[in-house]
Amino acid sequence: MATFTKFYETAPVLLDELVQFEADIAEFVAGKIDPVKFKAIRVAHGVYEQRQPHTYMIRIRCAACGITPAQLIRCAEIGQKYGSGEVHFTTRSEVQVHDVLIENVMTVIRELLEVGLSTRGGGGNTIRNILTSPDSGISSEEVFDVDPYAMALSTRMVNEEDSWNLPRKFKIAFSHNAQDTAYTQSTCLGYLAKIQDGQKGFEVYCAGGMGAKPMVGHLLFDFIPDTKAYHVTRALKTMFDKHGNRRNRYANRLKFLWKKLERDEFVRLFHEEYDKIKDDESLNLVLAGLPNEAKDPGIAVETVSGPDFETWKTRYVVAQKQPGLASIKLPLVLGDLLSDEARAICDFLALFGDNTIRCDRAQNMRIRNIPAKYLGNLYTIIFGMKHHLAKHAPFIGNMINCTGAQTCKLGICLPRGLSTAIRDRLINSDLDLDQIDDLRVNMSGCPNTCGMHHIADVGFFGKVGRKDGDMYPAYNVLAGARIGIPGQTEYAQKVDEISAKDIPTFMHDLLQDYIPKKAKYESFNAYLDTEGRALIKSLCDQFRDVPSFAQNPEYYTDWGAKKKLSLDELGTAECSAGMFDMIEVDEKSIKTHRKALEVDGADVASELYQILFAASRMLLVTRGLDSKTDEQVFEHFGKHFIEANFINAKFRDVVTLAKLGLKPELPKYKDLILELADAVIALYKSMDDSLKFRSTEAPAAEAASTLVEKDFRGVACPMNFVKTKLVLDTLNSGQQLKILLDDGEPIQNVPNSVALEGHKVLSKTQSGPHWEVVIEKK
Amino acid sequence: MNFTDDQIERYSRHILLKEVGGAGQEKLLKAKVLIIGAGGLGAPIALYLAAAGVGTLGIIDGDRVDLSNLQRQVIHFTADVGVPKVESAKDKMLQINPDINVITYQDIVYSKNILDIIKDYDFIIDGTDNFSAKFLINDACVMAKKPYSHGGILRFDGQTFTHTPGHACYRCVFKEPPPKNAVPTCSQAGVLGAIAGMLGTVQATEALKYILGIGDLLTDRLLMFNALKMNFRSVNLKKNPNCPICSATPTITELVDGELPVCDLKAH
Repeated sequence: MATFTKFYETAPVLLDELVQFEADIAEFVAGKIDPVKFKAIRVAHGVYEQRQPHTYMIRIRCAACGITPAQLIRCAEIGQKYGSGEVHFTTRSEVQVHDVLIENVMTVIRELLEVGLSTRGGGGNTIRNILTSPDSGISSEEVFDVDPYAMALSTRMVNEEDSWNLPRKFKIAFSHNAQDTAYTQSTCLGYLAKIQDGQKGFEVYCAGGMGAKPMVGHLLFDFIPDTKAYHVTRALKTMFDKHGNRRNRYANRLKFLWKKLERDEFVRLFHEEYDKIKDDESLNLVLAGLPNEAKDPGIAVETVSGPDFETWKTRYVVAQKQPGLASIKLPLVLGDLLSDEARAICDFLALFGDNTIRCDRAQNMRIRNIPAKYLGNLYTIIFGMKHHLAKHAPFIGNMINCTGAQTCKLGICLPRGLSTAIRDRLINSDLDLDQIDDLRVNMSGCPNTCGMHHIADVGFFGKVGRKDGDMYPAYNVLAGARIGIPGQTEYAQKVDEISAKDIPTFMHDLLQDYIPKKAKYESFNAYLDTEGRALIKSLCDQFRDVPSFAQNPEYYTDWGAKKKLSLDELGTAECSAGMFDMIEVDEKSIKTHRKALEVDGADVASELYQILFAASRMLLVTRGLDSKTDEQVFEHFGKHFIEANFINAKFRDVVTLAKLGLKPELPKYKDLILELADAVIALYKSMDDSLKFRSTEAPAAEAASTLVEKDFRGVACPMNFVKTKLVLDTLNSGQQLKILLDDGEPIQNVPNSVALEGHKVLSKTQSGPHWEVVIEKK
Repeated sequence: MNFTDDQIERYSRHILLKEVGGAGQEKLLKAKVLIIGAGGLGAPIALYLAAAGVGTLGIIDGDRVDLSNLQRQVIHFTADVGVPKVESAKDKMLQINPDINVITYQDIVYSKNILDIIKDYDFIIDGTDNFSAKFLINDACVMAKKPYSHGGILRFDGQTFTHTPGHACYRCVFKEPPPKNAVPTCSQAGVLGAIAGMLGTVQATEALKYILGIGDLLTDRLLMFNALKMNFRSVNLKKNPNCPICSATPTITELVDGELPVCDLKAH
């Protein structure tokens, strides 16, 4: 193999695994392996099925966010030959090739291997790509260069077989200074560079993570010498392997283990492993030199001048700590680099050596180690490309979005389309976007955090809005993450929600207010606290009333979508977060209309109809059913839930009444309708991770009596516990109660108090800013 | 039972207790307790039981509030001087907790009325200040098979025990009232006001424990304390097999009134 720089060494063990993988693919194609089983195999090889069936995305490891020009050219060629004609930069600082057909998967993997790239651990329950600050090694503000550690650790990890079968994915990051640009406190294991008594080392954080249930990482070591990075990683990995939850894939990241064990036990179990190996110096990482140095190719210098060039330099060029060298950010359009353009720029970069490219988490390309005199050459190449954002202020390229429903099976919304719409709105405004280089606007298409909305100044994550039975794309609006103060990381909190269509104007109006005031505030958070959060709310209020489909159908088609929002294509297998979100829309609707029933003068018939409708529709999505009309909802429910014995037959008549549209008859059956709603909700609770209901035999009415749900959010200690006790008093022994609690004191106190009274706390799971606790009465 | 939001909040510190909880609070709200005497002992008893949400509280006292009462009878205020004690007490009890029902008897207990009064209550508390009333209450409660709390204070001392059917009664220990003037009464000997609070709250606690069915009552045990030494002790009591009232063959079969209280009460 060639002698060029590699950011990790692919291991012999990987080659053996590939032979096996090739055999597995052949069996799958021949129909001998179940798709679900094949999925488990392929995702650990970085091969994900896209929304389009039998089309795959292949994720390529870029340790320390690095890739060489030759490697990137190979990726681009693969993209052209077997994929969508481009290389995609991801939010985890690696690259992907999209739209690869199954018959080409092995070829692609082998061709990548030829240039020292591996897809192993691109997905699945594995050691994922190890990230660093994207300007590590060249920043004049860094404590020291952390790239060599991430590279050496990657090589070590891909050589260890147990890296590929962990309870859940395991993410590692290194930041080169306290600004924490690799987000060490939002990941499973984070190393923050630090020098203590002249010794290089790290402050170590662990058990953080974003996802649908974000948790901030905890301090594991105030300081470890840099020679112990492997030992700590190894020990934590072993401990996770032994004690992590393998059963529930929604609660098995390292962060959940911390939650379950709590600090003392977690740290004790960690030290059980760490103490065994910590003094073994033979385990120290062997750091490969990764020089950041100039290599002058002696090509002709292009001299460019003029205001555009100067503006570009101001915006995108930073002097490195190495004298005479420059680093350049190339903002990509949604992380996409067209194959032929990749070739053009990589050919140029290759002249300056192998250590010239990094990926960053905003899906942009970072270029380094370019002698300043060649900036004109680079400028000419970049502006000769069509697909980039370098002509705009950095804010535009800094917006982060996940791929969304375009290719991802889980996505509800299309953040790529939204990002584009925001961009178009802002660049055609007179806002001075150069004022807000560092403002983070991040968006995800569903509650998962691929678009990193939790670490945003203003974040969005997709949801389904409904109006008069029509679905429209909408987003939750979050704000106010605090990153960059070690030990004080805070995630953005939900402020409100808004339809997708209104977001570009929302962003414009928000920035129009903020930009002129920016100098007045020490940070965006200070602005939020004083007036920004209130403005966000009032803007969302302003956009609250979404026009009906008849009034304005545009609201019902997402940005970048060709047709009305629909759930038809929503995946049911890869993950189900998007689906749960939809179910909860109906669950919430049941609650809302139930409350409305109690109001004096309520339109009882209409409220009951709404409850019955939401209850009937709520779980249809789990059966892959989407209904165009109300009548169809009741028909599907009758057929797939009542006839299928998931729901008691005694509800059949009342559902038929609703199907026939006989609303005025409903008040006579009020109790029965409410009981049905409870039965549906209980059935939902009994659903397991594969969306199967616990028992097809169990009569629904019985299920209804087994789980009671109470919302104690906003109820302070100790009243939340008082109320919990009172509800438990009304239950039978063995019956379950689910309560919603706020984060902080409530979640710290109530479950313990409940347990002290002898009840069993079955689970505690964080869901956004609150917690769900399931209790079994003693 | 469905508590109102106000009730949940009002009684939250009870509900939080594992031994009480919602079920215990419900018992309290359904309970009926009679307090005999709205004086030094009755004052804290009535206030605490009202606050606790004991649903029905009867209070019986024939006196009116006197300025000399205010040194220890904390349920009555200066403005209440001259007002019937039961009215003054009821007023304060409902101010503390409008959630309860207070039944007043502006009267004293005597042989002809006591059985009729106690029959509706689950627990009786003796907060009287004279021996004839204490023996009458004991005899009536034993006869009617009602549990009750005995209490007495003098100078710096207090004593109390709880009787429930089948356990030692007052007459098991003291056969009959002491001779007239052998023991000074409060008014003659004096009493440190706070003592009334110390003993009254013990009695209120016994009543709550009885209703809730928790802990160990002061049955067959006499708790005594001296506040000067701040020394508490309890001595075991034995049920007397020959007790004139609670034995299998009682010699007292009819209630009789003792001599009138020896206190030189102004109201009389």
